[in-house]
Amino acid sequence: MDIATIQAYAYFFFTGFLVLVLYGYIYHLYSSEKKGTRDYEKYGNIALNDEVTDKPVEKVSDNETKNKEA
Amino acid sequence: MFHWLEKRPFFFAVAVFVTIAFAGLIEILPNFAQASRPTIGTAPYSTLELAGRHVYIKNSCNACHSQLIRPFKAETDRYGHYSLSGEYAYDRPFLWGSKRTGPDLMRVGNYRTTDWHENHMWDPAGVVPGSIMPAYKWTFTNIADVDTAYAEQITIKNAFNVPYNKPIPMKDGSTTTVALADSLSGAHASALEEAKVVAADMKNQNVKDAVANGQIPEIVALIAYMNSLK
Amino acid sequence: MENRPLEYDYTVAKMFMFSTIILGIVGMLVGVILAFQLAFPGLNLMLGEGLAEYTAFGRLRPLHTDAVIFGFTLSGIFATWYYVGQRVLKVSMAESGFLMFIGKLHFWLYLVGVAAVVVSLLLGITTSKEYAEFEWPIDIAIVIVWVLWGLGIFGLIGIRREQSLYISIWYYIATFLGVAMLYVFNNMEIPTYFASGGIGAWYHSVSMYSGTNDALVQWWYGHNAVAFVFTVPIVAMIYYFLPKESGQAVYSYKLSLLSFWGLMFVYLWAGGHHLLFSTVPDWLQTMGSVFSIVLILPSWGSAINMLLTMKGEWQQVASSPLIKFMILASTFYMFSTLEGPIQAIKSVNALAHFTDWIVGHVHDGVLGWVGFMIMASLFHMAPRVFKREIYSKSLMTTQFWIQTLGVVLYFTSMWIAGITQGMMWRAHDEFGNLAYSFIDTVTVLHPYYTIRAVGGLLYLVGFFMFAYNIYKTMSARRIEENELQTASPMAA
Ligand code: HEC
Repeated sequence: MDIATIQAYAYFFFTGFLVLVLYGYIYHLYSSEKKGTRDYEKYGNIALNDEVTDKPVEKVSDNETKNKEA
Repeated sequence: MFHWLEKRPFFFAVAVFVTIAFAGLIEILPNFAQASRPTIGTAPYSTLELAGRHVYIKNSCNACHSQLIRPFKAETDRYGHYSLSGEYAYDRPFLWGSKRTGPDLMRVGNYRTTDWHENHMWDPAGVVPGSIMPAYKWTFTNIADVDTAYAEQITIKNAFNVPYNKPIPMKDGSTTTVALADSLSGAHASALEEAKVVAADMKNQNVKDAVANGQIPEIVALIAYMNSLK
Repeated sequence: MENRPLEYDYTVAKMFMFSTIILGIVGMLVGVILAFQLAFPGLNLMLGEGLAEYTAFGRLRPLHTDAVIFGFTLSGIFATWYYVGQRVLKVSMAESGFLMFIGKLHFWLYLVGVAAVVVSLLLGITTSKEYAEFEWPIDIAIVIVWVLWGLGIFGLIGIRREQSLYISIWYYIATFLGVAMLYVFNNMEIPTYFASGGIGAWYHSVSMYSGTNDALVQWWYGHNAVAFVFTVPIVAMIYYFLPKESGQAVYSYKLSLLSFWGLMFVYLWAGGHHLLFSTVPDWLQTMGSVFSIVLILPSWGSAINMLLTMKGEWQQVASSPLIKFMILASTFYMFSTLEGPIQAIKSVNALAHFTDWIVGHVHDGVLGWVGFMIMASLFHMAPRVFKREIYSKSLMTTQFWIQTLGVVLYFTSMWIAGITQGMMWRAHDEFGNLAYSFIDTVTVLHPYYTIRAVGGLLYLVGFFMFAYNIYKTMSARRIEENELQTASPMAA
């Protein structure tokens, strides 16, 4: 096998892999929202309520407490 | 998975970097060694030619001219044999260009002569009516930078093993050598020898006088370079 | 310290707004001059025979591309970053003296770099590689400027209050990383002065790659630099400014996630077309192309997401010139990302390559998408940064129509010019000889070059109106804080 063929196979399988990952991810996003695990759309508000005095959608410190629980 | 990333800027950055770097690796790297082997008959540039190449670059001739003949009948009819990868082995940087406002110059040395270039560079529209190429009169007075060309030759000889002073196989089975002087004054002397050959075919008196006085106007180097494009 | 409520600090954003406008004028003015030079070559001598060396097409051309890419566009990217970054992370630069210092240093060093670029290009000091013309001393300066920006980005992220990174931030990070990688690899060069023991010009260098390899690396850079300067950061802008200006949250956050990763995957993988028509098995090539197309779907998501963000609010497009700019920008984005792949089809490329069609393609992207989006962003920022309403809405509307006309004239004329020239180059007569000499294919373009120049001039005129409007905004009526929630306040 010359280098071009190896290249082509690498390209082929990696692209295929990416397609799978990406479409798997689409499925994951929509199903986890259906199941109520996570509401993604609320993050859209980060742009709208962006005064420095506005309450963050998710505070940095929230996460730390959550991490401790986990 | 991805949401996890968005909260962790560091891992996010790593993920992005891996995604974009990987494609480059697969696409470019494997061809590297293969593409840089010179074809038979391809020789490195002499000092004067390289100085001319610098004049070409300095004036961005590559903004209007390509040096890449594609394997189509229309192109080979117009410009000659299509380009081979190994013909560019000594081109640093490459000068393929991206726009043909003017014709391809890959093999212009095959069909244009010193005196044609002299007239054309002085007044393109005078030689080719309707030409939109600018005139390059200042190259007739500016002096070419032989020092830098020589510095570049030493650099590529040492760093990339460019075969100066070594036999180079030609298409007809013979060999040729491109000499590289071992001192700066030697480089000036050999460039001047070459320049005299070019200037002999020119008629601009100032250029002739300059060369007679040991100076090399940019136009002489530029024409030497274009004559070498074959 | 005074006891004032915390506010966002736009000092650095303001500095970059000014450089966006100034360098925009310089870059576009040079572009218009070049366009007229192609139509009327006498203009190569516009400052007389004595200065011809500095006004000829070849010298000016890199100055145009670099001024609009690294001057106008990068300044716009930096300006919006120093504005958007603080807001969506909910942290003010005033909170960190260090970041403030880095930000200012970033600006001033950038400006020094720009000055060095202008001077060196006019002197003809160039490596000849497109959009990477700078010699090594400037390359080093650019790397430092870039690292400073990176410090600014990650520093600000480090002290953020908002935990999740908003969509725009992803794109800014990707811009930072992508350009860094591309730039460093493409500019590997050896300074000849040092390598030869002190001979010749100190600034000269020679590429580490030769010939075909050099070309490969250069166009890997060239293609993707377009991605990471003209696409990724501009998408960052639209994801923030359109929702904010229209008061509508982005239509689908999920779709934006997908589009982001889709774009990252697709853009660099698009290079797979290099393998077409080579010696590898046919089925592999075909499937490779099919997969690439499947990957495009998520990458188009961004533009569609933007249009859908306006759902139910389309009257805003009619009433607000600012929204008009953004909607037209995303339309042009879709348009030129469709045109690009078409030109990459092998048989189309055979015709289009080396012609003005490529120039046309670049310009419907940069004038329609990049330029419009940056101007819209600055229009949105101006009232908030200066705390004053936009000076004139009607001027803005006029500008919009003038520039739109300019863009349309530009790309239609270049389409016709490119296809005409491509067809004439390949035409053979009945005896199998070439039908046209090269000069025939040059003179035939004169009318299109003239139209293109006029189109470019219209765009430039519009840009002057923009600059004037922003300038006057700085002295317009003061506004109340609460007028700034969504739509930007404008005087008639
Ligand atoms: C504005 C674009 C432009 C620039 C810049 C430019 N040229 Fe040209 N060039 C043309 C055009 C158009 C033609 C065809 C008409 C003619 O022959 O003058 C041409 C023709 C030529 C030819 C004749 C080729 C042939 O096969 O007939 C040569 C040689 C040439 N140019 C060399 C140069 C050199 C060297 C430079 C840089 C110093 C340069 N050109 C810069 C546009 C340009």
